Amino acid sequence: MAEPLMQIQGLESGYGEIQVLWGIDLEVHEQELVSLIGSNGAGKTTLLKTISGLVPPTNGSVLIDGEEYAGRRPDQMLTAGVAQVPEGRRLFRTMSVRDNLLMGAYMRPQNDPGIREDYERVMAMFPRLAERARQDAGTLSGGEQQMCAIGRGIMGRPRLLMIDELSLGLAPRAVEMLIESLLELNRAGVAILLVEQDVATALDLAHRAYVVDRGRIAMSGTARELADAPEVREAYMGI
Amino acid sequence: MLYLQVLINGLVLGGLYACIAVGFSLVWGVLNVINILHGSFVILGSYVAYFAYVHLGIHPFYSIILAGAVLFALGYALQLGLINRVVGAPVLTTLVLTFGLDLLLNNAMLVAFSADYRSIQLANPLGRMDLGEVTLPLDRVASMLFALGLTGLLYLLLGRSRIGRAIVAVRMDREAAALMGVRVRRVYAITFGVGAMMAGAAGSLLALIFPISPLNSSEFLGIAFVVCVMGGLGSITGAMIGGLALGVIESFAALFIGPEHGLTIAFTLLILLLMFKPTGIMGRRGYE
Ligand SMILES: Nc1ncnc2c1ncn2[C@@H]1O[C@H](COP(=O)(O)OP(=O)(O)O)[C@@H](O)[C@H]1O
Ligand SMILES: [Mg+2]
Repeated sequence: MAEPLMQIQGLESGYGEIQVLWGIDLEVHEQELVSLIGSNGAGKTTLLKTISGLVPPTNGSVLIDGEEYAGRRPDQMLTAGVAQVPEGRRLFRTMSVRDNLLMGAYMRPQNDPGIREDYERVMAMFPRLAERARQDAGTLSGGEQQMCAIGRGIMGRPRLLMIDELSLGLAPRAVEMLIESLLELNRAGVAILLVEQDVATALDLAHRAYVVDRGRIAMSGTARELADAPEVREAYMGI
Repeated sequence: MLYLQVLINGLVLGGLYACIAVGFSLVWGVLNVINILHGSFVILGSYVAYFAYVHLGIHPFYSIILAGAVLFALGYALQLGLINRVVGAPVLTTLVLTFGLDLLLNNAMLVAFSADYRSIQLANPLGRMDLGEVTLPLDRVASMLFALGLTGLLYLLLGRSRIGRAIVAVRMDREAAALMGVRVRRVYAITFGVGAMMAGAAGSLLALIFPISPLNSSEFLGIAFVVCVMGGLGSITGAMIGGLALGVIESFAALFIGPEHGLTIAFTLLILLLMFKPTGIMGRRGYE
């Protein structure tokens, strides 16, 4: 198999004295859609933040194309092609939808004609945003905010987009739309690392998946394998 | 006509107050640091203008650039070297740090420049213009226009430029801004530098109007504080409106109650305003 886009080995991190991750091994290949599942407080968000450079790792390695990126700053991770859509959307509330999307392209040269192209692409992907481009982001509904957050991630033109809690608190119809868009994005060649509390959906979408439990990887495999595993069905799908 | 004259004097003063306050407000809003150094920054800007005029013959209007550059460099270095270490700490910690730094800077200025009041006597003042019964003191009016112009420039910088958008993003959500690739610590340093730059530019303009002495720093700090609380934190338009309002209130209070009480009355009225409208003139939006 080709070299993974991102390969994580023995990653440890936490907040001050509190260690949260205890040696995570995980990889994402080009164009793959990988889901991370696990109960509340398992450390999924901390893992994404450690990868994206918001939380410094205390140990372990994050290889992008074989090069060491553990402990780099978020802007360096973006340059390497790794972007994160944070839990809770975290839009810039009193900026317009358009300005939020342009913030996503902050790292790119301002005269890059690709920015305009990607902006149009996001608008085509989420027509609801096009209607509301001039509105403050804080006035959007939850689903629209998630569209805007994902669009903002896309505007950095990442090769790997990490999304923390896609469907949390959103109406089922909005979730369906978002999933369609994610699949489209993935087919267009962007790898996705998805944290999703709805385990059935997470496994339905993904090629492969990992189960995070108390800061460790408890299980991994193809989405199919995990969906069929009795442990997963019992612990996370309530079957 | 007397009232019109007082109004004009108040607006002239208020434009300068806006320029003093806007940098203080920016730093408070973005870094959540109450910068006690701000008054001394203004004074340092005045001294730059004073010495540039006395020794080099540079008009204070041109010294805006010089004073702004000197103060930007000082502010940037202070933030990167010292204040960045305590950003995010409880507000009392940052308050104590900037208070300590202010003692250092203010005393250094006392040693270097003495407490004597100095003032710039322009060789070629613009004089006054009489419009009926109203008189425009032209140098002061020009200072005020420069002050408002600079404040407007800052507004444009924040709204239109790349670094401006980064500053606004950091103010709203530091972590989300970092995820966009904004280098937050550098933005903090630039923000603090810009705050100091605005203070320096204001000081340069004030050198034409007020006597210059390190002893005045607390008055300027007080003005910045009140304008900024009144207008709403981190809001440029708020600082602009708040500054103009303070200047006008001060002028009328001086007329009705006596010139020595102008600022006291103005501050008292503001406390009353805040009791009834605690979010400031611009309301909640200023906080976001
Ligand atoms: N900023 C923080 N400071 C201290 N502890 C934190 C912080 N954020 C999360 N934690 C702790 O880290 C653990 C993992 O949290 P998190 O990564 O958010 O889990 P998940 O995203 O899987 O729900 C939890 O025990 C949580 O309390
Ligand atoms: Mg989480």
